[in-house]
Amino acid sequence: MSLHKEAYQALESILGNENISEDPAICEADLKGGSGEFIFDANAVRPACVVLPKSTEEVRDVVKIANRYRLPYIPVSTYYIGLCAPSLPDTIIIDLKRMDRLEIDEKNMYAICESGVCFSQLQAEAFKLGLQTMTPGCGSQASVVANTAVHGMGPFGYRLGSAYRRILGTEWVLPDGEVLGLGSLSFSPEDYFWGEGPGPDLRGILRGMTGPMGGLGVITRMAVKLFPFVPEPPKPSGTSPYTRLNLPTNRMKWFHLTYATPEQAVSAMYEMARSEIGTMAMTVPPLFRYIARARGKGANAFWEAWAKAKDKIDPRETIVRILLVGYTSDKQLAYEEAVLHDIATETGATIAEARPSDESWIMSADAISVYFFGGVYMPADVSLDSLNQGLKVGQSTAALKKSRTPPLGEDYGYPGWLQLQELGHSSYLEFLAFAGLEDVEQLAALSQDCVQRDIDIGAYPVYQDPTVFGPKWQDYHHIIAEVKKTFDPNGVSNPPRPMKLMLE
Amino acid sequence: MVVPLEDYRYDALSCPRCSNCKWVDHVYVRSHRFAKICPINARYGFNAYSAHGMLDMALALLDGQLDYTPGLIDVVYKCTLCGACDVRCKRNLDLEVLLVLEGLRERCAQDEAGPLPQHKAVVEKVNESHNRYGAPSQKRIQELPGAEENADILYFVGCNHSYVQKETARATARVLEASGSKFALLGAEEWCCGRPLIATGQWELARKKMEHNLDTLASYGAKTVVTSCAECYKTWKVDYPRMLKRSTEDMDYRVLHIVEHAQQSLDAGTLSFKNPVQMKVTYHDPCHLGRLSEPWIHWVGERKAFGRVEPAKTYRRGTYGVYDPPRQILNSIPGIELVEMERVREHSWCCGAGGGVMDAFKDFALWTADERLQEAESSGVETVVTACPFCCENLGEAARLARDKINVVHIAELMLKALS
Amino acid sequence: MSAQRLLFSLERKTVVWRGGDNVSMKEKLAEIVGQGQVLDGRDQLEIYSWDHSLAPPRSPSYAVRPANTREVQMVVDLARQNRMPLVPVSSTVHFNGSSIPQQGGIVIDLRRMNRILEIDKLNRKVRIEPGVTWPQLQGELEGHDLMALIPLLPHRDKSALTSYLEREPALIPKFDYAEPLLTMEIVFGSGKVLRTGSACVPSALEKSAAEGVQPEGPGIDFFRLVQGAQGSMGIVTWANIKVEYLPRLNKLFFLPLNSLEEAVKPTYRIGQKMIGAECFLINNLNLAAILAEGTSKEVEKLSNELPSWTVILVLAGGPRRPEEKLAYEEEALNEIAKEASLPKVESTLPVVPDAGDRLLGMMRNSWSGEVYWKFRYKGRCQNLFFITILEQVPSFLTVIREVAAASGYSEKDIGFYIQPLENGRACHFEATFYYHDTEEDATRAHDLYADAARAVLQRGALFTRPYGLLADLVYPRATAYTTALRKVKQILDPENILSPGKLCF
Repeated sequence: MSLHKEAYQALESILGNENISEDPAICEADLKGGSGEFIFDANAVRPACVVLPKSTEEVRDVVKIANRYRLPYIPVSTYYIGLCAPSLPDTIIIDLKRMDRLEIDEKNMYAICESGVCFSQLQAEAFKLGLQTMTPGCGSQASVVANTAVHGMGPFGYRLGSAYRRILGTEWVLPDGEVLGLGSLSFSPEDYFWGEGPGPDLRGILRGMTGPMGGLGVITRMAVKLFPFVPEPPKPSGTSPYTRLNLPTNRMKWFHLTYATPEQAVSAMYEMARSEIGTMAMTVPPLFRYIARARGKGANAFWEAWAKAKDKIDPRETIVRILLVGYTSDKQLAYEEAVLHDIATETGATIAEARPSDESWIMSADAISVYFFGGVYMPADVSLDSLNQGLKVGQSTAALKKSRTPPLGEDYGYPGWLQLQELGHSSYLEFLAFAGLEDVEQLAALSQDCVQRDIDIGAYPVYQDPTVFGPKWQDYHHIIAEVKKTFDPNGVSNPPRPMKLMLE
Repeated sequence: MVVPLEDYRYDALSCPRCSNCKWVDHVYVRSHRFAKICPINARYGFNAYSAHGMLDMALALLDGQLDYTPGLIDVVYKCTLCGACDVRCKRNLDLEVLLVLEGLRERCAQDEAGPLPQHKAVVEKVNESHNRYGAPSQKRIQELPGAEENADILYFVGCNHSYVQKETARATARVLEASGSKFALLGAEEWCCGRPLIATGQWELARKKMEHNLDTLASYGAKTVVTSCAECYKTWKVDYPRMLKRSTEDMDYRVLHIVEHAQQSLDAGTLSFKNPVQMKVTYHDPCHLGRLSEPWIHWVGERKAFGRVEPAKTYRRGTYGVYDPPRQILNSIPGIELVEMERVREHSWCCGAGGGVMDAFKDFALWTADERLQEAESSGVETVVTACPFCCENLGEAARLARDKINVVHIAELMLKALS
Repeated sequence: MSAQRLLFSLERKTVVWRGGDNVSMKEKLAEIVGQGQVLDGRDQLEIYSWDHSLAPPRSPSYAVRPANTREVQMVVDLARQNRMPLVPVSSTVHFNGSSIPQQGGIVIDLRRMNRILEIDKLNRKVRIEPGVTWPQLQGELEGHDLMALIPLLPHRDKSALTSYLEREPALIPKFDYAEPLLTMEIVFGSGKVLRTGSACVPSALEKSAAEGVQPEGPGIDFFRLVQGAQGSMGIVTWANIKVEYLPRLNKLFFLPLNSLEEAVKPTYRIGQKMIGAECFLINNLNLAAILAEGTSKEVEKLSNELPSWTVILVLAGGPRRPEEKLAYEEEALNEIAKEASLPKVESTLPVVPDAGDRLLGMMRNSWSGEVYWKFRYKGRCQNLFFITILEQVPSFLTVIREVAAASGYSEKDIGFYIQPLENGRACHFEATFYYHDTEEDATRAHDLYADAARAVLQRGALFTRPYGLLADLVYPRATAYTTALRKVKQILDPENILSPGKLCF
């Protein structure tokens, strides 16, 4: 579908003809969004054109043209989310990949990222300075800006705080093309160090559990917090697919604590958090242990082993994996190790030091392994509240999933990723389910089961459709609708996100 | 069809579009500047210019949702088929990404949507003159120091080293000689290995070259083919078995690159480097010698539930490419200081020449090469050593144009310098 | 006048009054909160018309003291119907002018809502109403081996929730997850009541799976919009806040310094090494105001004897193996001092040998003395504070001193307090101008405050909490932010009844 001719000409004159395309094949690659089509792209419409702006001014001008001609647009960066899929004709994809500048203030521990910067780029540069960033559960190929604006969860949030805590000064092209600076950027150009105010904090409308999902304009630049790290960062070794980071064992160690039941594991996790030890702490579903073991051997090796897992896995056994880091010195590591052993003894765990390497989390290189075994995976349920909620929801979701298995893939043992966040003040549960390509509607159905269950038991999920949850939760969706209408009067910023405006 | 696109529909469909195919393995990312692995995506930016983009296009073509457009052709033929995306994806998943990209090429050729005129010009020369330059066969290298009439080893010189960078052929011959290995040459009987035809999806034309070369090899009775060209290496080792629907290990010959031969000779004590060569160098891993060079494993099967394959399949993930031998060689030459770039081994950044890109998109090929040279500069060296004439040519030209402090040299020539 | 009947429900936004318009506002308010909880006499309202800042006094027409959320909502509805401003206050003592009504109206005093509703030891949170003061909160938590993160010696009548809503910096900068506010219940200016974050699920506080610890959402982060708002977006009727374990083993260290420049590097290093609990920089005058026994003269005398600057750092043992934690942190601290070529860190101050113990006893609660420490020197004070980065702190000190000198104000009468935030990634810089309670002194202090504010703003100070005249300096420079903020205000308080005249409203 070709774009309004004058609109296209205007865009081309801003961007140059190398940075815009309406070729159907070029547009095809921006049809489905990321994270597996299956569920999200059923109604996807091929975009009318893709543009590649290089600067905030270009983004602003593109957005203004979109407003003028009432053309929907979707801002995308590294693409790994279903929200990138257009659902309306004449959609412009604003691909921010060319905006990839990165600046780090080492002393004051923050990084100014444009939308095209991914986490591994930031982590690599941070490591050089004895600092670190958070890496998200979806993988370090994700854009720092986009991921932090929308989701940004991962096990580092235990020590470093959840995503919304990490946003500092931010440059934001509002849906109508006005440029807004948040925090220190609001009245001091090029000053990104702080995110609050002045006065009420408008980062409040930037986020929410998943933010407006591209429905409130385009973030072009965001400063994110960096954090002190160990002086000698982990070093890479190995040849693909066996690559890993080797931990400096005088400063970093992984441990596994095995518990007979999830309740015992959760109780121990609460105690770890209260004791303020650890940098990451989470339960590890057996499925992912088997995936890790099959690395490089092929999915068939996974399936063979998994078929025997039922007899080997105690359905209630739960493993907690915890990373200890001696930020201050090697003595901090020794201290935390001693405390962990105390807790293990008191809580009846079998404790073992794990391999001194990381394949998965520090650079978040393994995230995509969720698709390893073939078929489709989906986060059937993702919730964020207390560890207790995580436990309840996880158990309930396991039962719901079982009711649809088969054709959903079999799961054994405690199947949820339950991660501590913010030194145990909250937790993050991600519960994955998988199916063959031919059974994807069962995944969608399970997701719906979970939504209804969340409503029934009063759980707080991450993915909140305002039109579904709003009527249950004090009609908050009216406010969301007002925010959307106020800031996006022409309804062009990734419609219909964040919600269908039914409240006319 | 050698790479029927329909056979890889599941792979295209299963792509989660995570964008890992654009980035170096995160474990190995060492800087913001050199974190990307896909030249077309780094240069052109659109998601279409990437493995996941091409997988989407392939699916749309198969499903009749897309026709051949200028954009599609541009994307397909600007890709150097370097395989970085394939290795990246296979770190975590079992998807045959590169086979989809090759399948797209073959399909384009079959539907006469490609290759491009510049490719066709090369193809014509290969067809008629058996080399990509259109030069007379008789002008191929006929003699080299140490060559004999018959030997167990056949030195397959390749078009580039026969006609253009002949000094590398001479250096290779000297290394063979110095290691006490007798070798034969095919001279005018040597035909282009077929790489330019395979690169542009014209497998059936390439088959003719293969058949000739294999017959000629058999007539010489040689069991080992040594080459100094990474592209010839990969073609003989991987693509010939593919065309014959056999595995590499089932072929009647084995292929060695001169670096493998030299490394084996070093280990056996039949080769040593005595002359110091005072140089600070870095090594550029050619794609066809590195991640693309794992033996081909013929497999026929089908998909079952959850995409499981029956029978089980061994995936080529770039793990066993020829990475160590050249490094061992460089470390054994006195005076050489080897400094690694950031993107090395299976994560090497492509030189930009492959896949017919040097023929059809010269500017882009040079851009890609210049990216590599910037990386070399950042590692503080002035010499880039590599093991492929096309890497040498493209990197060398980029160096002459914009980075004249950088020298590009084939490892065989360094070995020659180091021989007493 | 016939008797009125009141119809309401918590979910309905409007209050319907039966009867004629000749019912007075006072009567209407009394119907809601009870007769004795409505104030309209001049003497009664006097306490709401001024505070300890230099903001000009202005009086409301009424003050009401509701007991619960329902009453708060009804007052909001009434105010909306009558377009009357509504200024929420919680504490009985204020320093920034934000509690003074700018356009008359009704002060809604939440002091009666002073319950600690729930202590959740497992999730380490406490739910409090706005009238809960710091001593009340910390006293209750101490019995559970917990503490809330407290600013520097707040007034004992200060509302803890207000401290968090106003984003007052906490003494302990070690937590990278920033402010401790979690979920809350808000009555917006529109009259809508919303429980934010995971508290929004029905029965969140009773039997639901969610336990109210997740501040985000629903939809947008409401908790951010009411922070720093000076009551202009909504009235918080309760909030969950994070609490931490109360360390029982503590060791306080002093790094005495001659100049502020010397303090910068070690303060950065303390953050980078992630050691310590309480950590802040303070000048001699402020430290004297805290430690001196007795009168203003004692404060002055001690100020002359104390080091010009002191970094105060508490190393706290963990809940487990406290001695071991303290030991490795102390080792790191000594290395930091050595790196910075500082004298060895001490646990005492020569001129106040028991300073360490006394400060340790004070810092996790409010000021307990009869005269608030900020009033001990001259009786009055005006605080100027902003956010900056540590390395800029010496230059701001210079700016303020220059402005003070230009206005004939002695720099010896300025207290300074620098609070590192989040392991030192930024800091709160606070200058306190002390002055006597005379018209002449007050005028000079006001002018100094205004001039200093302009000067530091020019230098790059970030006023995230623009009280009073600071708002007039800041918002004209942040036009896009102002526009966006007003749009949000229009949604949450369409009739602009909440604290009109504050900020940019």
